Amino acid sequence: MNLTLIIPEIFLFLWALLILFVDFFTAEEKKHRLGPLSLVGIVITVVLVVFSGQGQAFGEMFSADYYSLSFAIIFLGSAFLAICTSIDFARERIKHQGEYYALILLSTVGMMFLAASRELLSMYVSLELTTISLFVLSAYLKTDLKSSEAGLKYMILGAASSAILLYGISLLYGITGTTVLKGIQAELVGSAFPGPLLVISLVFIIAGFSFKLAAVPFHMWAPDVYEGAPTPITAYLSVASKGAGLAAMVRVFFGSLLPVTSEWIPLFMALATMTMVLGNIVAIRQSNIKRMLAYSSIAQVGYILVALSAASELATTSMILYLLVYMFANIGAFAVVIAFYNHSGTDEICEYAGLSRRSPFLAISLVIFFLSLVGIPPLAGFVGKYLLFLAAIQKGYYWLVGVAVLTSVISLFYYMNVVRQMYFRKPTKNDPVKVSWSLRLALVLSLIGVIAVGVYPDPFVSLISKAASVFVY
Amino acid sequence: MPSDYAYVGLFLIFGVAFVLITFFFARLLRPSRPNPIKNRSYECGETAVGSAWVQYNVSYYIYALIFVIFDVELVFLFPWAAAYRSLGLFAFVEMFIFIMILVFGLAYAWRKGALKWV
Repeated sequence: MNLTLIIPEIFLFLWALLILFVDFFTAEEKKHRLGPLSLVGIVITVVLVVFSGQGQAFGEMFSADYYSLSFAIIFLGSAFLAICTSIDFARERIKHQGEYYALILLSTVGMMFLAASRELLSMYVSLELTTISLFVLSAYLKTDLKSSEAGLKYMILGAASSAILLYGISLLYGITGTTVLKGIQAELVGSAFPGPLLVISLVFIIAGFSFKLAAVPFHMWAPDVYEGAPTPITAYLSVASKGAGLAAMVRVFFGSLLPVTSEWIPLFMALATMTMVLGNIVAIRQSNIKRMLAYSSIAQVGYILVALSAASELATTSMILYLLVYMFANIGAFAVVIAFYNHSGTDEICEYAGLSRRSPFLAISLVIFFLSLVGIPPLAGFVGKYLLFLAAIQKGYYWLVGVAVLTSVISLFYYMNVVRQMYFRKPTKNDPVKVSWSLRLALVLSLIGVIAVGVYPDPFVSLISKAASVFVY
Repeated sequence: MPSDYAYVGLFLIFGVAFVLITFFFARLLRPSRPNPIKNRSYECGETAVGSAWVQYNVSYYIYALIFVIFDVELVFLFPWAAAYRSLGLFAFVEMFIFIMILVFGLAYAWRKGALKWV
């Protein structure tokens, strides 16, 4: 057994306990310092992840490879940015700050294990560690009815989807006699005809994971939870929890179910189409910016599913790169929303009128993040979407890419609506919006990410393509 | 193949029908002799008092949670203790770490006042 491989995970777990421990002896008015303390833990974990070796541990269960490495960095990065955006929000509006940061770190530990597991049950357990922490975090504003509702809805639907996923896993185990992904693949190559049981188990597994990804028609929890949860948690949910679902899904489907692609590719194409169309069209009608971003993040998953149905090495590369790009743009956009909320206490889009005069920095940042989400060159979103669509075109899915491009154009409409409010409407108030150091840090890091990946994507693509070569296509 | 997905529909129909048919046959076969005592809700042999729709003190929940944690700890401790001689030092260290994590949990609960009855 090679325990050195899980040192980063162990370290982050102990750091979460350390946060709880320090919390015992910290006076209430100094508790906001636990935020920077958790940031330190994340930075050390990133170093450990990069320099820890590669290999397998616990039999076939745990595998530290380029795939888990790149996902771990994305998860740690989004936890870092989410905590940066949390510090002021938590100080003003949240009780029990120690547990808040510890839970974010614990759910990140779950995600790291998830990306590294190559066995269905360890994958499921890590998924639970991730989501149970997130249930608590979404209900964190105890006195806010919407937040409690968000937590309850997320928990009930999350539990139901986990049950569905587990049922699918049990059927797959019944067919192949193993929960190890490699073993499943070997069994499926041998069998001549997959049979109805396999289709049923695939449907259950896809439904279970699609809940976590918030793909249509399994998206109904997302807007309510995103609106009710504390905004930094929404930012974290919309990137990291989706990333975790994606990491597991790609590992399962590209790592074990490639021999039966004809059974699941049509399903993903249907999911992708519905997700892109519904997410983008419903987003137009939203007047609350958190709900708008919720539907926009549903739509973004649709683009990722386009590549998932392509099932090639380029597809994996493009999905991981897009997740990275999406992390910067989406958490960046949420950082602006949080900065505005901390100042004015509202999330309504109409209140953003004249923001360009009240805080030019926030306004221009939001414009850049939105343009990246739409996919305008030279920002990172363009590179991401280009690779996603290229993967689908290589497989000849022209109509799917057509839908994706058309819905991207629709998305321009609702993003630009916010921009119109900020730049072409007169402000109702004139006080400048102040931005604290931690939010500024999150914004600047996201801006650098969005621009750097967009202008010079080569190093990122070559690193991530190593992750994609983990699977044999 | 789309026709394969017909199995999913069949599966769904079968799943619902199975429950309904079981209930139907159970109804045919079982004797039906209700009386007032039988119809009363079951509360571990105690006479039911009042409605179940009352608010419980949330402290019960915290106690139950802490109880479950140490209950589960025992489930792990027994097999370890039974096979202690053959497992050796590694298992001892591992169990020590496991218990330390739980001790931290207890310290946390204590410090946060979860053990105090308010």
